[in-house]
Amino acid sequence: MTVVPTLGELERAVMDALWSADAAVTARDVQDALAGRELATTTVLTVLGRLERKGLVTRERTGRAHRYRATAGRADHVAELMRDALDATPDRGAALARFLGSIPDDERAALRDLLD
Amino acid sequence: MELPALALLVFGVALAEPVSRLLARARWPGRDPVGALLLWQAIGLAGGLALLGAGLIYGLAPLGAPPAALDAALAELGAGRLPALRVPHVVALVLTAALALRLLGVLVAVTVRTLRGRARHRELLDLLATPWPAAPGARVLEHPVPVAYCLPGLRSRLVVSAGVLDCLDVDQVWAVLAHERTHLRERHDLVVLPFVAWGATAPFVRGMVCAQFAVATLIEMRADDVAVRQASPQQLSGALAAMGGVAPAAALSSFTAALHRRLARIVEPPAPLPLALRALVRLVAAVLVAVPLLAVLG
Repeated sequence: MTVVPTLGELERAVMDALWSADAAVTARDVQDALAGRELATTTVLTVLGRLERKGLVTRERTGRAHRYRATAGRADHVAELMRDALDATPDRGAALARFLGSIPDDERAALRDLLD
Repeated sequence: MELPALALLVFGVALAEPVSRLLARARWPGRDPVGALLLWQAIGLAGGLALLGAGLIYGLAPLGAPPAALDAALAELGAGRLPALRVPHVVALVLTAALALRLLGVLVAVTVRTLRGRARHRELLDLLATPWPAAPGARVLEHPVPVAYCLPGLRSRLVVSAGVLDCLDVDQVWAVLAHERTHLRERHDLVVLPFVAWGATAPFVRGMVCAQFAVATLIEMRADDVAVRQASPQQLSGALAAMGGVAPAAALSSFTAALHRRLARIVEPPAPLPLALRALVRLVAAVLVAVPLLAVLG
């Protein structure tokens, strides 16, 4: 008996494939990256379409092929979720202080350069 | 007819301003958070109904008392005639309609904005967070800052950051999850929603802002009370202290700055209100809502 993966799982797998790709990739590339799952091309296209509607993926056309890329990196999205969660806290100062406390020293120096 | 309208107006204004402020400052709600939450809902509902009722009663006064006056006015309009009202009455009715539309409009806008934000947040969560095997239903977000929160709704989510798992032991995580699960199970997001909306309607009324803050604090107390029963006071307070007290919900917008007071309440809980006083609180809540309803519906 084969376990049918849910759409959510497929979306995760496709996003992971896009995040680990260096450049924009075709649906075929995604299909190859997920070869172990034996997905039909139409399935990959459906999932990519859903992700595009959610604003997580952009599509560009080069010649006859459509190429897909993630609109933002994994870390950017995690940061967005964390911002959402921390925005709800009463004491933004304290939340930010905790956030800064979690940054490694070398990155902290880089952040300081950016701010200055 | 001016006297009942005036009395209702005073009643509504009193609820929105001095009563809200007094209740927000009172200490007994910590001894009966559920009763206090019921009272806040009653104050919000009764205040709104009273202001609308006052405008309606005054505006329709020349036609008699509502609800008969309302029927009479509608019958006149239906027959293509303008009801025999003078300028002040028309002004009162227009203001009443404007207030009703504004309250409703803000409530709808806040609800839509909240639902959209939640849906977006949930989409991203489902892509990024991984299930935490130690607690069914909980997901872990790879981020070093310790945050635990819940995303309420029909398809609710329970989230802890990797930072939480780093700085708490498993029992403490359980206590925090019990707290967040209470928010979800008792739909505290819906308890807070009207106050967020009323706060947005009239941010210049201090009583409204006090109410919003007090209700947010009360749902945290309630969730603490339940979590302490499922885990232990030491586990919960230890967890909150370790996390620096930033354990509230994202979409739930809870905000309690008074971490120390909260921790003290968890470790040394005040005696619950006696049964008779609890009953009284609920009775007062019911009476508050009944007053404007009876005044308008007769």
